Amino acid sequence: MLSFLLRRSSSFEQKPQFCFSLLASLAQVQSQSQSHHFSSSIQNRSCFTPGYSCLGKRSDGFCLSLIPSSKISPGVSCSDVDSVKCVRFCSSQSQADVDIVEPSTSDGLTVEGIIAQNWTVLGEDESDWRSHASAIAQSIHLTKRRLKWKQLLFKVKSLSEELDKQDLWDDPVRAGKISREHGFLTGKMNEVKAFEQELFEHIDMIKLSREENDAEMESEALKALLEMRRNMKEKELEALLSGEHDSCSCFIEVQAGAGGTESMDWASMVVQMYKKWAQRKGYEVTIVDEMPGEVAGIKRATIRVEGEYAFGYAKAEDGAHRLVRCSPFDSANRRHTSFSAVAVIPILGEGFSRFQIKESDLRIDRFRAGGPGGQHANTTESAVRITHIPTGITATCQNERSQHSNKASAMAVLQSRLDKLELARQAQLNAQHTQSLSENSFGNQIRSYILHPYRMVKDHRTNYEVSDADSVLEGDIDDFILSYLSASLDKDEDGL
Amino acid sequence: MATSVGSKFLDLDNGPDSTLLHRELNWLIQDSLGEGEPATLSCAASASSSGSTSSKKVVKLRTCLDDLYRLWKERIEDRRPFQYLVGCEHWRDLVLSVEEGVLIPRPETELIVDFVEDVLAENYGDGLKEGLWADLGTGSGALAIAIGRILGCNGRVIATDLSPVAVAVTEYNVKRYCLQDKVKVKQGSWFEPLEESEVELGGIVSNPPYIPSDNIAGLQAEVSKHEPILALDGGANGMKDLLHLCNGAASMLRPGGFFAFETNGEQQSQFLAGYMESELGGRLVDIKIESDLAGIPRFVKGFKAR
Ligand SMILES: C[S@@+](CC[C@H](N)C(=O)[O-])C[C@H]1O[C@@H](n2cnc3c(N)ncnc32)[C@H](O)[C@@H]1O
Repeated sequence: MLSFLLRRSSSFEQKPQFCFSLLASLAQVQSQSQSHHFSSSIQNRSCFTPGYSCLGKRSDGFCLSLIPSSKISPGVSCSDVDSVKCVRFCSSQSQADVDIVEPSTSDGLTVEGIIAQNWTVLGEDESDWRSHASAIAQSIHLTKRRLKWKQLLFKVKSLSEELDKQDLWDDPVRAGKISREHGFLTGKMNEVKAFEQELFEHIDMIKLSREENDAEMESEALKALLEMRRNMKEKELEALLSGEHDSCSCFIEVQAGAGGTESMDWASMVVQMYKKWAQRKGYEVTIVDEMPGEVAGIKRATIRVEGEYAFGYAKAEDGAHRLVRCSPFDSANRRHTSFSAVAVIPILGEGFSRFQIKESDLRIDRFRAGGPGGQHANTTESAVRITHIPTGITATCQNERSQHSNKASAMAVLQSRLDKLELARQAQLNAQHTQSLSENSFGNQIRSYILHPYRMVKDHRTNYEVSDADSVLEGDIDDFILSYLSASLDKDEDGL
Repeated sequence: MATSVGSKFLDLDNGPDSTLLHRELNWLIQDSLGEGEPATLSCAASASSSGSTSSKKVVKLRTCLDDLYRLWKERIEDRRPFQYLVGCEHWRDLVLSVEEGVLIPRPETELIVDFVEDVLAENYGDGLKEGLWADLGTGSGALAIAIGRILGCNGRVIATDLSPVAVAVTEYNVKRYCLQDKVKVKQGSWFEPLEESEVELGGIVSNPPYIPSDNIAGLQAEVSKHEPILALDGGANGMKDLLHLCNGAASMLRPGGFFAFETNGEQQSQFLAGYMESELGGRLVDIKIESDLAGIPRFVKGFKAR
């Protein structure tokens, strides 16, 4: 965009600084929205506390548990040492919470208790506190299950123990990682606890107002319950994306299966689908690498999708996608079945242990170079391929406009591929994770797109299906993603 | 238009094939979109007639469609280089203005900056980072600007070129990157514009003309028909300027100073390295030949003896 008619004579001068400052302001906007994202829950909570702080009983402990959770919320930047201090502070607090009592109303009603009451859940506009309370309790229950609550509590506990060890800071990198992870998980845990607590405060409030015949107080509490009910719906969704790398950006790789032009055209349709999906979600999409087919379509492509939770969503797309249609490339217009394999790779941020690449293990070469080069050749082709010799893994980038940028891009792809390999290796050591990493092969068929003789898109993992195939191909795949994520997280009951 | 080219140019003179032209067309359209338009009109270049429906959308262009069409026709029919059409070349992390009369910087040459980066990282104690560097035959100013951006706050670069167009383009590019205080541009032949006070150079880089005169006519049309001959023709064996620079380096570099030259390939690199070792009385040392990313031995680099 920057470059058109960038001649000396051109009437408008574009200074490169413009694009730097634009970038800087973009970055700012992003970090703002990010911190907003993380702090919103805290605001939600604090808005009701003032009114209720007189309620006595447990309100004291409750307020305390709020403060540390806001201190360690990931949007807030504090130096490592600081964060450890506040983490320590709240770790003792939260541990106390874990070990001593399950939160409940003043007369001992718990979330489980509410669910066991089987109160009918009515529409949101019915002002029945039992209906609201029941909906909220179910949401909290679901959220906990999605967060793998028991595992979460256990993990927080063992991380706190680590943090209390004297020699922790002998290895500052590890210490930083532990304290960050602890902060992140404690934040999640405290958030849910605060919701439980809030629910009980509201219920107590309603009971109290009834005893005292205070209609105004009652309707206020009812309003608060309704608000909370809506809020919890969002939290339920957020909890779907609580995996360690879910918040990362990612690469999506698409590869055409056997079957010539028809299958290469399908691969390019799949890439289009993801590009449009990503654009709808406000993610930034870049094509990193694209190998066009001879006649049409692509043999393979890698796109980069940047934005919060890009990986968390897109990981649901990992696997083989099958197309059935009458091929426009078949002169007899016969029905064809073709496949595209999709792999989704997280781009790990700072703080995750990344695969260490040794410079000497790399071979970097011009891809598709020919002829004498140098001053002999004028070309806009500056594709670079990097090979990691020990693993044989390669990455190519040809869509940037300079060799330098192609190299940097290819390097980022290579790094992520190696990171993924490393994650898979670690996951094998740590059996509980193997499930979530599906292997990327044409054998793992996850979804069919049928355009003939009828139109339907069906996910084989969830049996979720829609008949409007066109809108799916236009990127409307969120429902597929969400149904898959909830199905895969909600199936094991034992997390609670 | 781009598709019909197929591999015709490629077979003819190693010119662009249709895949490459499609990508250029895509970039041309990207570049001509008004500010704030998403730079992803991928449908423009994709040859696919796929079953996916294409959505139509109105976009703002900086130039009218007729102009774009005319430009693209020049690309295909006259083989006018893409970079001259859009007036710029992306080189390393820079976007450099280029125009007829100045050589379009090549991807191979980017590596010279990597060499300099390595040297600065290793030889910080030698003060090369704060020293005076020269980019001789600077063309669009690519090397001078890239190096100017990695030197320390006292480091300076002098960029020379015989061509007045090159000097003007370099001055413009230097200004765009706000490096007027760091990069001085002078017109003249190789070392000549350097003043008395500027003879103790910390580093010299150059990508001088190195193509043997006989080979010029057979070059890819984009190069032979459109790029300046002054930037390409290196005399009978292509070594005329390289040898001159190499002698100059032996006397103008300060002890421990660094040099890197680009050459035509294996033959020239070996000849040059041999010449430095045997004919210059050991004044240039640590001489190494480096390959470009296509594996062609392309550069000769080394240091002035202490
Ligand atoms: C191959 S181009 C290199 C340009 C630029 N350094 C680059 O790498 O893109 C060679 C340059 O040397 C310049 N040149 C040719 N003869 C020269 C001379 N006698 N003195 C100074 N510069 C000269 C040309 O004008 C041209 O800009």
